[in-house]
Amino acid sequence: MEKIFQIGLTHYLVVAAILFAAGMFVVATRRNAVAILMGVELILNAASLNFAAFSHFVHGHITGQIVSIFIIVLAAAEAAIALAIVLAIFRHYRTIDAEETSLLKD
Amino acid sequence: MTRKVLLAALCVASLAPVGSAFAEAAPGTAPAASEARKVPRLSISPSKLSFDGPGSQTVTIKNTGTATLKVFEIRLLNEGRPDTKQKDGTPTNLPFKWDGSAPMAQDLEPGKTLTAKVKFDPAPSQKQGVGAVQVICNDANLRAMPESTNDATHESSAYGAGIPLRAGEGGMQGWLLVLMVFLPMAGALLIVLIPSKAGKNVFRFVALGTAAVTMGLAVYLFMHFDRTVGVANGNYGLQFVKQFVWIRAFNVEFFMGVDGLSVTMVILTALVSLIAVGASWNIDKQVKGYFVMFLLLETGMMGTFVAMDYFMFYIFWELMLLPMYFLIGIWGGPRKEYATIKFFLYTLAGSVLLLLAIIALYYTSGKPGVLRGVPSLALSDGTPAAHTFNIMKLTYLNNFEAASSILWGIKFSHLIWIGIFIGFAIKVPMFPFHTWLPDAHVEAPTAISVILAGVLLKMGTYGMFRMNFAILPEATHWARTALAVFGVINILYGAFCAMAQTDLKKLVAYSSISHMGYCLLGMAALTEQGMVGSLMQMFNHGTITSMLFILVGVIYDRTHTRGVNEFGGVASVMPRYAALFGFAFMASLGLPGLSGFIAEFLVFVGAFNVYKLLTILAVTGVIFTAAYHLWALQRIHLGKFNPKWEHELKNNDLNFREMAMLVPLAVIVLILGFYPMPALDMMTTGMKDLAAFVESAAPAAKGAAVIAGM
Amino acid sequence: MGPLSNVESLKFYAPEMVLSAGILLILIVDLIGDRMYKRKGGVSNRKVHGTLALVTLVVAGAVLWWVNHSTPESEVPRGVAIFGGLLARDAFGDFFKYFFLGVTFVVGLMSMRSRDAIDHTDGDRDAGEYFALTLTTTLGLFMMATATDMLTAFLGLELVSIMGYVLAGFKRRDRKSSEAALKYVIYGGVASGAMLFGLSLLYGLAGTTSLAGIKASAAVAASPTTLITAVTLVLAGFGYKIASVPFHMWCPDVYEGAPTPVTAFLSVGPKAAGFAMLIRFFGGALPETLLAKGALLDSSPWPLILGASAAITMTVGNLSALGQQNIKRMFAYSSIAHAGYLLLGLVALSGGGSGSRSILFYLVTYLFMNLGAFLVVIALAESGLGENVDDYKGLGTRNPFIAVVLCIFLFSLTGLPPFAGFAGKFLVFSALLEHPTSMNVFLAILGVVNSAISLYYYARLAKVMFFDKAAEGAGPIKVYGVHAATLTVLAVPTIFLGVYWAPLLDAADQAIRAGAPAVIGAARAVAGL
Repeated sequence: MEKIFQIGLTHYLVVAAILFAAGMFVVATRRNAVAILMGVELILNAASLNFAAFSHFVHGHITGQIVSIFIIVLAAAEAAIALAIVLAIFRHYRTIDAEETSLLKD
Repeated sequence: MTRKVLLAALCVASLAPVGSAFAEAAPGTAPAASEARKVPRLSISPSKLSFDGPGSQTVTIKNTGTATLKVFEIRLLNEGRPDTKQKDGTPTNLPFKWDGSAPMAQDLEPGKTLTAKVKFDPAPSQKQGVGAVQVICNDANLRAMPESTNDATHESSAYGAGIPLRAGEGGMQGWLLVLMVFLPMAGALLIVLIPSKAGKNVFRFVALGTAAVTMGLAVYLFMHFDRTVGVANGNYGLQFVKQFVWIRAFNVEFFMGVDGLSVTMVILTALVSLIAVGASWNIDKQVKGYFVMFLLLETGMMGTFVAMDYFMFYIFWELMLLPMYFLIGIWGGPRKEYATIKFFLYTLAGSVLLLLAIIALYYTSGKPGVLRGVPSLALSDGTPAAHTFNIMKLTYLNNFEAASSILWGIKFSHLIWIGIFIGFAIKVPMFPFHTWLPDAHVEAPTAISVILAGVLLKMGTYGMFRMNFAILPEATHWARTALAVFGVINILYGAFCAMAQTDLKKLVAYSSISHMGYCLLGMAALTEQGMVGSLMQMFNHGTITSMLFILVGVIYDRTHTRGVNEFGGVASVMPRYAALFGFAFMASLGLPGLSGFIAEFLVFVGAFNVYKLLTILAVTGVIFTAAYHLWALQRIHLGKFNPKWEHELKNNDLNFREMAMLVPLAVIVLILGFYPMPALDMMTTGMKDLAAFVESAAPAAKGAAVIAGM
Repeated sequence: MGPLSNVESLKFYAPEMVLSAGILLILIVDLIGDRMYKRKGGVSNRKVHGTLALVTLVVAGAVLWWVNHSTPESEVPRGVAIFGGLLARDAFGDFFKYFFLGVTFVVGLMSMRSRDAIDHTDGDRDAGEYFALTLTTTLGLFMMATATDMLTAFLGLELVSIMGYVLAGFKRRDRKSSEAALKYVIYGGVASGAMLFGLSLLYGLAGTTSLAGIKASAAVAASPTTLITAVTLVLAGFGYKIASVPFHMWCPDVYEGAPTPVTAFLSVGPKAAGFAMLIRFFGGALPETLLAKGALLDSSPWPLILGASAAITMTVGNLSALGQQNIKRMFAYSSIAHAGYLLLGLVALSGGGSGSRSILFYLVTYLFMNLGAFLVVIALAESGLGENVDDYKGLGTRNPFIAVVLCIFLFSLTGLPPFAGFAGKFLVFSALLEHPTSMNVFLAILGVVNSAISLYYYARLAKVMFFDKAAEGAGPIKVYGVHAATLTVLAVPTIFLGVYWAPLLDAADQAIRAGAPAVIGAARAVAGL
C-alpha cells in the first residue's frame, strides 16, 4: 500500500502516459481548432514530462531536463504559428470549426 | 534564334552538374598520402592491346608502389570459349595465346617489371577475338576480388585487374551492328533538328534514306555473315562483336553481336522497316513527330535483336514501348486511345516481371555450383566480377539448377523462367495474353501494323529462344509440354476466331496469333528441325504478314472500310491487287512452293516424334487456316462486282509506291519457297548448337519418356 | 577520432552559418532596403530577395566545397561527430547538403517568376519573407540530414515542419491555402508529439540522447517490447515526414492547397531529409542484434514492419492517384507512391550498403523528375492554365516543347528506360533481390506491378496532351524563358541518368561507405560492391 504513495518514476510515467492519451483523444474528437491545438500541447508536454522524469530518477544527469526546456521552446513556437494559421482560417471561414474547412477533399 | 542557341548550350552545360557536383560530395577517393604505409601498386601497360591481324604484342606489368607486389597469377582470358569440344573431340581453338612460355607467379619488388608476349593466332573462320590479360595480385587499391568459384583460390587478399585484348574489332566487323542500331536514332535526331516548316516531304525522304542505308547495311551483313561459324569456333559463335564496359558497378557491358538465331531477325527488321516507311507515305498530320517516333522504334527493335548483355537488352526492349504508344495513339483509328493504353499496360506488365527475373539471374550467377565451360565471369577488360549480365556467359554458366532454392514450393530457377516467359508470352502473343493484339492491330495505322506484326511479335519468340531456352534449359524441359499445348491452342483458337471476323484487318490479326502458334510448337519440340522451322516461320511470317497488312491498307485507303462482306468481285477491277492479294493469302495458308510451307513442314517434322497428338491437331489447324483465308479471298475478290465501290476502285489499281512495297516481299516469299537455303543456311549452325545445348540439359530418361508418349 | 569540441566544429558548420547570414540579410534588406531601392526606381522586391537567396545558396555550396577540400584527411577524418556528438560531418551528410542546396536553388528560381508563390499585387511585398522562410527550411533540412542526436534530429524536423506550415499557408487570401496550412499543422503537431514521446522512451532506456549511445546501450537491446513501442512511435514521426501510409493523410490536401513552388519543395526536400534520418536511425541507432542482417523474418520484426509499410504505401499511393482529376493532387499521391518505393530500399538496408545506396540514387533522380514535373505546372499556370487534367488538352499542339518535356518527366516517374527513374527503380529492386527471401521477392513483384499501375495515370496526362484536341479558341501558350531554361536543365539529366550512372553511383557509394563510424552502423559492414 505504501508503495503507491512513495512517488517514484512509475508515477511520472503514468501521468505522462495519461496526458499523452488525453492529448490524442482531444485531437481526435474536438472540432474547435484551438482545442485541437491544446491537445497537441498536451502530447508535447507528456513527452517533456517523460524526459524530465527519466533524467531525474534513472540517469542522474540533466540531459533529459535540457531536452524538456527545448521542448517548451519548440511548443511555444509551434503554438504561435498554429494560432496564426487559425486566425487566417477564421478570416476566411468566420469559424474555427475544423470540420467546416473541407474545400480540399478527394 | 539566340534563345535556341542558349537552350542548346544549357543542355550541354546541365550535364556538368550531374557529374561534378555530386562527385564533389565525396572527395578523397585517392587514399591518404602513402608515406605513412607502404603499399604495392600494379600498373599494366599498355591499357589495351588491339590486333588488326595475326601478330604478337607485349604486355608490361610494373610495380609502381613502395612494397612488394605479389603476383599470384597472370591469366589469358578468351571470351567466348565454352569448353565444348567439337564432335570429333578436338579442342576448340583459342585465338589469343601466349607467345612463348606463360608468365609464372612471382613477387615484384618496387620498380621492377615483368613482360609477357601475347599473340593473336586465329583459326581460318575466326575473324574477331575478344579477350583479356588478367593479373591477380595483392594491390588493395584495385576493386576487391569478390567470391567467385571460377577463379582459383588465392590468399584472401587477392585483387584483380586486367587489360582488354581486341582483334578484328575495327572496321566493319566491329562497327556494323553499332551503325545499324544507332543510325535510325541519328536520323530521328536529324528530323528533330529540322524545323517543321521544311515541309512533309523532307521528313519522309530523310526517314526513307535512313531506312534505306540501314537496309544496305543489312545486305552487307547478309553477304558477309559466315554461315559455318558455330559455338565451337569460339567467341560463343557470335560475329560482328562490339564489347566494352558500360556500368562497372553492376558489371554491365555494351555488348552487341549476331549469331544464327538473331541474324535473320536483324535482316527482317531492316527490311520491314524500309517497307513500313513506304507505307507511311500518306501520313498527313504531324509528319515530323511520326518519323521521329518511327525511327526511335527502329533503333529499339534493332538493338533488342543484337544485344548480348541482358541489361542492354532490357533497355532496348523498353525503348520500343514509348514510340509505339504515341504512334498508335496519335495516328491510329477511332478507338486508338483504348487500344494503345491496353497495348502499353499489357506489355509493360510483362516487361517489369522480366526486369525482376533479369536481376534475379544476375545475383544467382555468382553462386557456386556446377559450372561448365565459362572460364571466368570477368568483364571484357579483364576486371574480375562476381556476377554477370552477359547473356552468353549466363547461357554457358549452367549453375542455376544446383544453386536453386525452393521458394513458395517451386524451384527458384523455375520461378525465374516463368517471370521471363510471361514477358515474352505477352509479346508473342500467346493465349491467354493475346487480347491486346486485335485491338492494337486494328487501330494502328497501316505502317505500324506492318511493324507490329512483322517484327514486334518475333521478339517474343526470339526472347524465348535466347533467354528461356538458352539460359535456363532445365526449366525449359520442365515447361516444354505446357508450351507445346499453348502453341496448339494458339493455332486452333486463332484460326477459329479468324473465321468469325468480318473486319479484314482483325482477320489478319488473328491469323498472326495462329501462325505464331506454329513457332511455339516447333520450339517446344526441342529438336533441330523443330527449332529451325520455328525460326524460319518467324522470318516468313514477318514477310508474309507485312504483305497482308499492306494489302489491307491498300483497300482501306481507297474505300475507308475493311469489311469483308462489303466487297465482291474486286478482282475484276483491280487485277494486280487481286493477284498479289491471292499470292499473299496462299503464302499465309502454307501453300507448298511458297515459303510458309517450308517453315510449317519443318515444324511438323520436328514436333511429330515428340508430341504426336499435338502435331496432329496442329496439322488439322492448317485446314481451318485454309478455310478462313480462302473464304475471305472469295468474298472480297470473286463473284459479282459490288457497284457501290465503282468510283473508288475502278481505274485505281496499285500505284507505284504500293507495288514497290509488295513486289520485293513477294519475290522473297517465292524464292524462299523453292530455294530456302539462303535463309536456312544462316540459321542452321546456330540452331543446331542451341538444340544440342538444350537437349543436353534434359532430365532423366524416365521423365523424357513420359513426354514422348504425348 | 572523438567528437570535436564546439570551437573546433565551427569551421565545419560554415555552410549553415552562411545560410543563417543570408537569412538575416534578407530580413534586414526587407525591412530597411525596401524604400532605398524602390526610390531608385524599378527593381522589384522579388528580384532583389530572390537574387540574395540564390547567391546565399551558391556561396553556401562553395563554402561547403572549400571546407571539405581545405581539411586534409589526416587532420580530420571524413566521418567525425561535431559539436560534441550532436551533428555529424561526413560524406553522407555532405551528399544531402548538396542535394538540398540544389533543390532550394531550383525552387527559388521557379518562385521568382511565379504569381502563385509571391503575390504580384502589392508590389511583391511578401518576397522577402518568402525567401527567408525558404532558406530557413533549407537550414532545417541540413540539420535533419546531419543529426546524430535525438535532440538535433527533432529540432531539425520541427524547424522544417514549422516553416512548412507557414509556407503552405503563404497565400493569405486563398481559402485553400489556409485550409492546407491548418491540416498540415494539426497533423504535423500530432506526429511530432508522438515521435517525441517515442524518443523519450528511448532516452529512458538508453540514458543518452545520442543515436550511437542508443545503439551501444545494453538496456535497449534487453527490452524488445519497449523498443517496439518506442520505435513505432518514432516511425509515426518519420512516416509523417515522408508521407507514408498511414501517416499520409495530410499530403494530398497540403500539396493541392499550397502554392505550387512550395509543393514542389515539400515533395522533394523534406522527403529526402526524412529518408536521411531514417537511414541514420535504422543504420546507426538500432542495435545490430535487432537489425537482422539478411532480413530474415524470425529474428527481428523490423524488416517485416518496414516491408509492410512499403507495400501498403506504394499500393495506396498508386491506386488513389488513378482517379484524381487535379494534377497537384495526382502528383501528391504519386509522391506517396514514390515514398513507398524508397521504403523498399530501406527494407533492403540490413543486407548491406546497397539498400542505402539505392535510396540515395533514387532521391537524386526523383529530384530531377519531380521538380521538373511541378515546374511544368508552374510555368503553365503563369500563362493562365488551370490545374485540372482536362486543362492540359491539346498541349502537344499549343506548346510542343513543354508537352515533350512533361512527357519525359512523366515517363521517368513511371520507371521506363532509358530515363532516370528506371535507374533508380532498378537499383532499389536489385537491393531487394540481392537476398531473395520470400518477403523480398514478394515486395519486388509488388513494386514492379505498382510501376505498371502507375503508368496508367502518368500516361493519361500524356494522352490528354497529345491525343486530345485543344479546346475551342485555345491558341499557343508561351512560357517564360527562365522556366524553359530551368526545365531544360532538369530534363537533360532525366534523359541521361538512365544510361550514364557512373558519377552519381560512385558519389552515392562514397557517401555510404565513408560515413562516420558512430553513425552508419550496418551499412559499413559491407566491403564494397
